[in-house]
Amino acid sequence: MRVMGVGGGAREHALAWKLSLSDHKPEIFWIAENRNPGIYKICKDNQGELRTGRTTDPKTIVRSARGWGVDMVVVGPEEPGFHGIPDALEKEGIHCIGASQELSIIERSKADLRRLQWENNLPGRLLFRTFKYAREASDFIRKNIDTQPWLQNIVIKPARQSGGKGVKLIEDRLAYLHDDKERFKEAYFDSLQESMAAYSDIEDKILVEEKAWGPEYSLQCFTDGKTVLGTPLVQDNKSAHEFDSGPETGGMGSISGPDMILPFVTREEYDKSLKIVEGIVEAIQKKTGRSYHGMVGGQMMLTENEGPTIIEMYSRLGDPEALNMLAMLKTDIIDVFQAIVERRLSKLKLEFTNEDAVVVKVVAPNGYPEKKDKAKGHPVQVFETNIKRNGCYLFWGNADLQENGEVVTGGSRLLALMAMDHTLPPASARIEKTVSSIQLTDGWGLYHRTDIGSEQLLAKRHDSAERVRRLYKYREEQGTLGRRMEWVPKVGKVDPSQLLLKEMRGPEKA
Amino acid sequence: MPGLVGFYTFGEGRENWDASHFIHYGLSALQGRGQESVSLAVIGPGNALHTLGGKGGVEDFFEKNGTGIPKGFIGIGQTSSYVDDHLVHVKAPYELVLALDGKTDLHENRGEASKLFARQFSQLLHSEKEPLKATSMLINKIGGGYSFVALTHKQELISGRNPLGVKPLETGSVGFDIAVVASETCALDVMGIDHTGPVETGEVIMFTPEDIRGNAPAADAGNFCSYEYVYLARLDSKVNTLPVATVRNNIGRELAKAHPAKADVVIGVPETALPVANGYSQEAGLPQELGFVRTGENIRAALEPTQKERLVGVQLKLNPVKSAIEGKDVVLVDDSVVRGNTLHNTVLNLKRNGAHQVHVRIGSPTLISPCPYGVEIPPRDELVSSSLNEKELANNVGADSISFMTVDELQHAIGLPRQNLCMRCFENGGATR
Ligand SMILES: Nc1ncnc2c1ncn2[C@@H]1O[C@H](COP(=O)(O)OP(=O)(O)OP(=O)(O)O)[C@@H](O)[C@H]1O
Ligand SMILES: [Mg+2]
Repeated sequence: MRVMGVGGGAREHALAWKLSLSDHKPEIFWIAENRNPGIYKICKDNQGELRTGRTTDPKTIVRSARGWGVDMVVVGPEEPGFHGIPDALEKEGIHCIGASQELSIIERSKADLRRLQWENNLPGRLLFRTFKYAREASDFIRKNIDTQPWLQNIVIKPARQSGGKGVKLIEDRLAYLHDDKERFKEAYFDSLQESMAAYSDIEDKILVEEKAWGPEYSLQCFTDGKTVLGTPLVQDNKSAHEFDSGPETGGMGSISGPDMILPFVTREEYDKSLKIVEGIVEAIQKKTGRSYHGMVGGQMMLTENEGPTIIEMYSRLGDPEALNMLAMLKTDIIDVFQAIVERRLSKLKLEFTNEDAVVVKVVAPNGYPEKKDKAKGHPVQVFETNIKRNGCYLFWGNADLQENGEVVTGGSRLLALMAMDHTLPPASARIEKTVSSIQLTDGWGLYHRTDIGSEQLLAKRHDSAERVRRLYKYREEQGTLGRRMEWVPKVGKVDPSQLLLKEMRGPEKA
Repeated sequence: MPGLVGFYTFGEGRENWDASHFIHYGLSALQGRGQESVSLAVIGPGNALHTLGGKGGVEDFFEKNGTGIPKGFIGIGQTSSYVDDHLVHVKAPYELVLALDGKTDLHENRGEASKLFARQFSQLLHSEKEPLKATSMLINKIGGGYSFVALTHKQELISGRNPLGVKPLETGSVGFDIAVVASETCALDVMGIDHTGPVETGEVIMFTPEDIRGNAPAADAGNFCSYEYVYLARLDSKVNTLPVATVRNNIGRELAKAHPAKADVVIGVPETALPVANGYSQEAGLPQELGFVRTGENIRAALEPTQKERLVGVQLKLNPVKSAIEGKDVVLVDDSVVRGNTLHNTVLNLKRNGAHQVHVRIGSPTLISPCPYGVEIPPRDELVSSSLNEKELANNVGADSISFMTVDELQHAIGLPRQNLCMRCFENGGATR
């Protein structure tokens, strides 16, 4: 059989790797924006080829798929889904593993996702508001901050997934720093309004939501629209530097195992998280009338108000979380994809190793994520025997294989190293021993996070999980889980959820 | 002894942060380390370094300078117990501003030693391509005991702790936008920053517009200042990952075990000794009473510069609560004895107000040597314990008994191995000066 993949990051390299291990011995073809050296090699070794092209252009993708005569397409990143690649393929009768355009709204629009949760009364949600203009947002906060204290600690996000625009986490707990925080928020609203003006596919531009705290984890799932099968929990690390400091990145590395849950998450929390994701899949299918087949994931956080809570939805696998999951997957990936295509996931026995923990660490050039232009174009040298000797795996990310055989950095996350072991810390240590096998020959620096998978960071996660768990469990016992009730002097009881729902329903007739 | 703060920002909109304002509150929290002079340096739009320094406490400094406080989105600051102790500004060959806690061994005089350090720092940053490597070389080359933060014209904030690790330095961050280094974790709390861990001994952490970099810390755990736990650090801080409050409680308990006294109540000398008295009371099974109320600002008597001011400071500060002591035998707990004036005043005060016996218990060994790393422990001839033994001192201050912890007891209470604690001030032959 012939399979074609779309996308050129570490996640796609891992997909290609897993496909190459299938007993079905598929011929592997690929389209990516960059010549990912890893994917390039796998395609070549498996009677296929890697072609560069615009992965968000339905015509390019359909033409290649038809030209190569592939039986099935797997879409890695989110943007092709946002641009209707799966829809275009299926119109041509080519099976596609990937959420169709309408369904991928759960990721494309964080605002629509929140509305979906509140309209359908689904658990694991956060209070939010959306705004078209910066002024609206700052006025709303100023006017309501005293009666709706959740507005003190907020997250500001572009309402649409948009490359480059990050989220801002702003706690405004200290009275003497209030003006500083307010000034910063308002400036960011302005900047969002400006940059989001370019996107016409979405009404809201600015999303403001309740800032939660607690450990994060991703629950990635396969679905054929009827059944949602959960995979092992994975925790990614978003901050660029050690112990969660520094700017936001696409993810600097991830941990999973040695079982379906993480050391600091409970089985009960896993089950609840899966229910939450199932609820969203069901609700979006109902809303659009379309069937969801492909990958879906919840980027979750344990929070004091809700317990397991959705931070955002994935309409694909996570990058780098996909690497952990695929490494632990025992079932033949082609069997999984075929079961999705044939809508018989409920009959599939999806198996994962329960012996190994997996650590993934991303290696990025200095300059990423703030100065990508400086991080770009540096030649890479890899000592492969050393990587193999330490039992590590390398997955290429934003790297480009040149005609002369040289690999250069693309400016974003260069590659990911993966190691497995009985527990997380030794796997992490193995990668630490190996990272020096990757160098830039022009002397430009590379960095990675040493702390991912370490005892120290695990202890910190455990501690934060315990603290937030005590809080939400207390609410559970009191019967107030998911409720937000305030008592405001001179006003009395205020229920910010009711205020939100009322605003969502729109102005009521008297 | 200065308290240091470094404030760094990332990401879009970083120019909207006001570094001086955050540093202001960070320094406020560090005033226990000194409140004789304040200075700060920031980089704002246009990349120029702006510095400002002045005499007095933190609140005074910021109030007095008002709109004259330089604005910028990254910066460093220090509050110091030395008068006229300011940031060292080196303009060439590599422009930098340095704040240093402790003392390098480049000169007898602490200020001069810091200046020489800053100059060599600038030279090395200029000649070495990689600033991280340059700094790492520098702290391995230059001896003494110190921590520092420096700001360069290239928007680099470089923080480090020399391999001896005598002086504390902690890191923190919040959201995706701000990272901070500070002498104590209490400064991070006050700035609304989450603590991420100590700068390890021999470690350099460098913040640049491109990244955060660090070298590998020294393999040796270091030689931490034990006086931080006894007196210097704020109760709500963690020093070298140990909570100061826990250590002070342990000190009190250890003191009660090794130096019991027959008495009715335990009374601590505010502020530092209160948690020690608490530990003593818990271990001894004696009630702890609040024996004094303070009037006026919290003046830290041990570090007060002149004798006259100190006497005024103590008397103003501590008014006894008569009902708590009248007709009672008292265990009076203090953290340390420097010149003995505080103790003299306090014991007399208790007795004049009706206390019967007063047994003084000190939560640290006798201070007999000045600090080689810049803590202003006075010269030997001003240290009462270097001339008087316990009995003589008891007579001198009018107490019925007095006893100090031993070095071993203090080490045990802190809970770190002996070789990882600096106790030079409690030992003979520590430093001359
Ligand atoms: N409501 C929230 N409360 C607390 N932290 C949050 C919240 N929303 C987002 N974050 C933090 O910000 C990070 C990024 O947020 P989010 O996933 O929504 O944005 P994103 O830009 O789509 O990120 P990515 O696509 O890289 O996952 C999260 O991983 C989480 O650490
Ligand atoms: Mg995300």
